Amino acid sequence: MLDLLAYDFMQRSLLAAAMVGGLCSIIGVFVVLRGLAFVGAGTSHAAFAGVALGYLIGWPPLLLAIVFGLATVWITGWVEERGRMKLDVSIGILYTTTMSLGILFIGLMKTYNAEVYGYLFGSVLSVTPEEIRIIGALSILVLGLLLVFSKELYFIAFDQEMAEASGVPARQMFFLLLTLVALTVVVSLKTVGAILVFAMILIPASTAYQLTHSLKTLTLYSSAIGIFTSVAGVLISAIWDVPSGPAIVLLATTLFFIAMFCSPKRARRVRLAHSH
Amino acid sequence: MPDPREPIIRFDHASFGFPGLIALKDISLTICDGEFVGVIGPNGSGKTTLCRAVLGLLAPIEGHLHIFDCACDELRCHHRAKIGYLPQKGVVDRNFPVTVLETVIMGRYGALGLFKRPGRGDRAIALDALRQVGMESHKDDALGHLSGGQQQRVFIARALAQQPRVLILDEPTTGLDITAQHNVIELVQHLHDELKLTVLLITHDINMIRSRVDRLVLLKTRLFASGPPADVLKPDILHQVYGKDLVITEKDLIIVEDYHHHH
Repeated sequence: MLDLLAYDFMQRSLLAAAMVGGLCSIIGVFVVLRGLAFVGAGTSHAAFAGVALGYLIGWPPLLLAIVFGLATVWITGWVEERGRMKLDVSIGILYTTTMSLGILFIGLMKTYNAEVYGYLFGSVLSVTPEEIRIIGALSILVLGLLLVFSKELYFIAFDQEMAEASGVPARQMFFLLLTLVALTVVVSLKTVGAILVFAMILIPASTAYQLTHSLKTLTLYSSAIGIFTSVAGVLISAIWDVPSGPAIVLLATTLFFIAMFCSPKRARRVRLAHSH
Repeated sequence: MPDPREPIIRFDHASFGFPGLIALKDISLTICDGEFVGVIGPNGSGKTTLCRAVLGLLAPIEGHLHIFDCACDELRCHHRAKIGYLPQKGVVDRNFPVTVLETVIMGRYGALGLFKRPGRGDRAIALDALRQVGMESHKDDALGHLSGGQQQRVFIARALAQQPRVLILDEPTTGLDITAQHNVIELVQHLHDELKLTVLLITHDINMIRSRVDRLVLLKTRLFASGPPADVLKPDILHQVYGKDLVITEKDLIIVEDYHHHH
């Protein structure tokens, strides 16, 4: 294994995995608490449609991924705010529409393009130094904004109406959260792929959620789980020559089920059920 | 209490809702500093809309609303930070990872503004609010581990942490057992007496509050009646608003007649 670590590509992969794992798992805390799980899943497919369009017309794929991702989350947020439609219905429609666009764009390409599929399934072992810089810059931006506005974001995740009534700009914070989810998805596309990125956002936070009653501890546990599973998943992928995305996600899922069975919250629920 | 009392909330022919779907129509109502006001009316009568308007979550589509004598044309006028709010009890996620003290400190966030973290002073205010509702010993407990009545106390403490002049409570006793209902209302009365807070209490439980409030406001899209409980709780007024099933018994309890007959 130590031989592997000597390779540049391996060091880059591990660095990318650690950054993406940390970022996804921290934003995941807010996504899980605010109940936005499906929004993230929809966004990743929308971002993939942006990548496909980028390859089709020769524009930077990540730029168009950001445009598609942001448009999707903003339309979703607007629809929810107006109360026109339930959130899961609107995101369900946008999700399948953008995925259809992605398939259409791929169909319009006259030649097979392996790089596009890299964004769909993830290819962390082929991350370039330039991509590392982009991932690093966007991670710093997203984490910085999360840190600066963490108290407001926690409040709207807990109770958006109450936050608004207390004088917190809750509406703006909700849209900021949606924007950060979209940026996180785009940052992670290359490493874990559009299909699996959402597992990276959802699973570490959900695992940590089983283990604590404190917001701070939840965030710490979630980021530790996210970074660990990403790095360990890449190593497993390299050592046993299996795809990295599934290795990361399946490892995270295993931890999730272990946490669920060992959860102090579960133990409490069982005790309560027996006492009634 | 100051006398004459200073008017702090003033609806002036104000209507709320959307064109074609009016939730409250042509409301003219003045609430003075230190008043304890009960807001009653059937479901869908606009009680919650009245709260949301005072909180600055809704602007009037006609007429005016003055808070602390400011016209507050802009929603979220700074005056509204002085209004503490206990929303209608929604479904609290019993596993939401937050402690009692963390919940109460959230009440400071509006006053702190963006970019500032709660400091020692905010923590002291939050602890003081917890003391006022008798929940100080639970400060490190998980919110989800508390009973419904205790959770309501914590949410009242969060409203108090805003250091409000006005406290608005939207059906604070819904879903609680009878003892917890009584305790919550006792607490609200205590806060009104001790802190000289102006209280707007929305409730369906007229019997529980009638002897405690200075004034009852009876809504059914319009302002039907406003005055001392004895003047508002008259059979003819109640029948107009609630229908014929509502009666006042010899012991002055207001009950639904059908319920009375069948039990």
